[in-house]
Amino acid sequence: MEKTLDKARLNDWVAALGKTGNWEVHAPALEDGVWTYQPVESEVSLDHPNTKQPPKGFAFPQKEIFFSFEQIKGEPARLTEVKPQAPQCAVFGVRPCDGRGTVRMDRVFTDHVADPYYNARRKNVAYVGLACNVTPAPTCFCKSVGGSPVSSEGLDILLTDLGDKYFAQAVTKTGEALMAAADKLFAKVSPADKKSVDKAHADALAQPQRAVKDAAGAPAKLKAAFDSPLWEEMARACIGCGICTFLCPTCHCFDINDEVTGSTPLKGNRVRTWDNCQFPDFTMHSSGHNPRENTGARLRQRVSHKFRYFHENFGMLQCTGCGRCVSECPVGIDIVAVVNKVAEHVG
Amino acid sequence: MSEQQAYEPKIVAFLCKWCSSAGSDLAGVSRIQYPANATPITVPCSGSVSPMYILSAFKKGADGVLVSGCHIGDCHYMEGNFLARRKLHLVKELLGFIGVEENRFRMSWVSAAEGGKYAQVVKDFVEDLRPLGPQEKLKAQRT
Amino acid sequence: MINIQDIRDTAKDLLAKGEVRGVIGWKAGTRGMDAEPVVITAPEQADELVWDPTCYHNLALYLVEDRKFLAHARKNADKPIGIVAKGCDARAIVVLMQENYFKREDVYIIGVSCENTGVVAEHKLARQLSGFAASAAAFAGDEFSFTTAKGEKKVPAREVMADRCLECRNPFPKEHNATLGEDKTGRTLAAPFAALAKFEAQGGGERWDFWERQFDRCIRCFACRSVCPMCYCDECVVDSIEMKVLPDTTAEEKANRIRWIERSADRSENITYHMTRAMHLAGRCVDCGECERVCPVNIPLRLLNNKMEREARERFGYEPGASIGGPSLVASFRDDDPGDFIR
Repeated sequence: MEKTLDKARLNDWVAALGKTGNWEVHAPALEDGVWTYQPVESEVSLDHPNTKQPPKGFAFPQKEIFFSFEQIKGEPARLTEVKPQAPQCAVFGVRPCDGRGTVRMDRVFTDHVADPYYNARRKNVAYVGLACNVTPAPTCFCKSVGGSPVSSEGLDILLTDLGDKYFAQAVTKTGEALMAAADKLFAKVSPADKKSVDKAHADALAQPQRAVKDAAGAPAKLKAAFDSPLWEEMARACIGCGICTFLCPTCHCFDINDEVTGSTPLKGNRVRTWDNCQFPDFTMHSSGHNPRENTGARLRQRVSHKFRYFHENFGMLQCTGCGRCVSECPVGIDIVAVVNKVAEHVG
Repeated sequence: MSEQQAYEPKIVAFLCKWCSSAGSDLAGVSRIQYPANATPITVPCSGSVSPMYILSAFKKGADGVLVSGCHIGDCHYMEGNFLARRKLHLVKELLGFIGVEENRFRMSWVSAAEGGKYAQVVKDFVEDLRPLGPQEKLKAQRT
Repeated sequence: MINIQDIRDTAKDLLAKGEVRGVIGWKAGTRGMDAEPVVITAPEQADELVWDPTCYHNLALYLVEDRKFLAHARKNADKPIGIVAKGCDARAIVVLMQENYFKREDVYIIGVSCENTGVVAEHKLARQLSGFAASAAAFAGDEFSFTTAKGEKKVPAREVMADRCLECRNPFPKEHNATLGEDKTGRTLAAPFAALAKFEAQGGGERWDFWERQFDRCIRCFACRSVCPMCYCDECVVDSIEMKVLPDTTAEEKANRIRWIERSADRSENITYHMTRAMHLAGRCVDCGECERVCPVNIPLRLLNNKMEREARERFGYEPGASIGGPSLVASFRDDDPGDFIR
């Protein structure tokens, strides 16, 4: 379903979703110089570059309680399942790279094992995307990894900014329902609108971006370069902070811990939290041995997971070219340069 | 109609073994009446009290934290309380800096002979904490 | 103005003569306008070195990494390592030497003076550019210009300069083997501790509201800790991971292992972490500002450490990183240390 929406009507749509549809609306907002997703009542303005944090937190929050436990001494422990509070969320302003990121997260948490916590939340989140028909950020590289600034993969609706109005393309049934919730605000698509959006998309695709030179060949090249001393050299400046991983739309490793909140009686929660393969102790064994004990091995791990292992397991690259790991790395480690350098080195 | 229970502040008191802890014992054997709000934890020296103990006590829900040691010049380990004076001054400043009420963290010098003083310190602390209400800022939220 | 060729020639010379086994410095980055840290080992590589207001990094961190690498490999360095160091970086090196992390003769300090300028504060720049990234920059004296997707923007240097540079009185590496640039010790572009004073003008309630918001935003990526040269502990006290699990370790022992903070990035855990770190850095932090720069969610961490630094200076007459033989702040005392707050 395709419709148009006057820009002046955007806030009305958001307000309608909140009232009639019981949707919690989230949109990018600028606070202290950082663009993050914030809950909104009715005011959404879609003029952000991209958010600092990707939208993966809606279905995969940084902290998830699995169950709570209580044990009175001498008695067996009592476990109480904690079902995720999964309100209906409509997330506005999601860029195509993050939409494709969602596709990858979904594969991880539904393919072999359907994670009940992820899925309980996921089925209640709708992504209203925004096409990137502006100059890309200097660190964007979606095109060279199979994506596009106008891709609708993983999104429920794709909005394209046509100046005075948005071209709204519903991609899923949920997207259609979101638009139907404020049906009167939307207008039919005219031939001129169709021409505008086609031109906007063509222009967007024509914008130059940095590029991973040969993403298709990356899996084989990374395999060949596994033992190369190049990794330690490229990771020389890495400080092991983990920002790249926490801000990545597809990184999903987690840790599970029991967090004790009371001792008599013993009480606590089993909690899943984001974990980070760039932390030095990520692969620390209880014996004290660490198979990935230097930054080179850990850089190799992350890059290979994106460009090789995920491809081997799921038939697609895990990296969607959002560029956050590149722009946010405090010391300038650049996954595009890394993959290109490896390919060049292997020849 | 049920009677509303007056709020009773919970105090965690780190007492050095050589002076303050002994002082609190003296208060006990002398049958000095004082509020029972303080949970005493004996440490070898006030200088051994790490800022982490204090933060941990607040995180666990303590309404007030007291560190008490030997008088200056009387430390069993010579310098311990000098170091405590400096280090815990910094802790106090840092707590106030992030907006935690100043009265929640306190230090005292109480010798083994000062049972009466110990009782007074606790009594004063409880009275100063009562109007502040329960400590919520640093307390871990139980889910 | 330092001529970049002088930095390159100094490094080249040291390497060619075999006086150092490497030089830690900055080179141009691949992703946009920033410089990035580099360790060069061959004289030809010296031509890669750069020096500009995007050389934010405290390279003393890489001295720590180098030392850890040597310790782990059980090797001894046969030669010192060279390092290009700003005033703040040099002070960090002094603190590390004060703590016997390495000896003075292990490091060859090529000091560079910031003279009358300083590094760009990425957070301030982000505000000026509404969150859009700069692909290129030009730094001409008092005016910097940045190119983004929205075009070029000129900004007065002072408006995007890091607070720590504005407030710095020692833009010159006191500890050094060689120096480049004029000594502008004593300069004041802004009052020392200006940002701190501005914050402290608020009352207790406002202070808490401010910090509550900051600590709620923290994602516990630990970038602040990772980037700090002074956070060199092999196991940080808040991680509590070093528990050897043997065949006879009981479930109870595992459950009761010391854990100062939980894994969850909850507010109480975040506060404990940040305050512990501020205490552990009291008297050691030299205000290089890196912790604040690297924070992905813009928490003004420098304020916490600055507070400790001002207490150290004003209350205890202590200056971090002043002299290699000096005592540490919290392991020393004076007879007249304030004690009025003690009952």
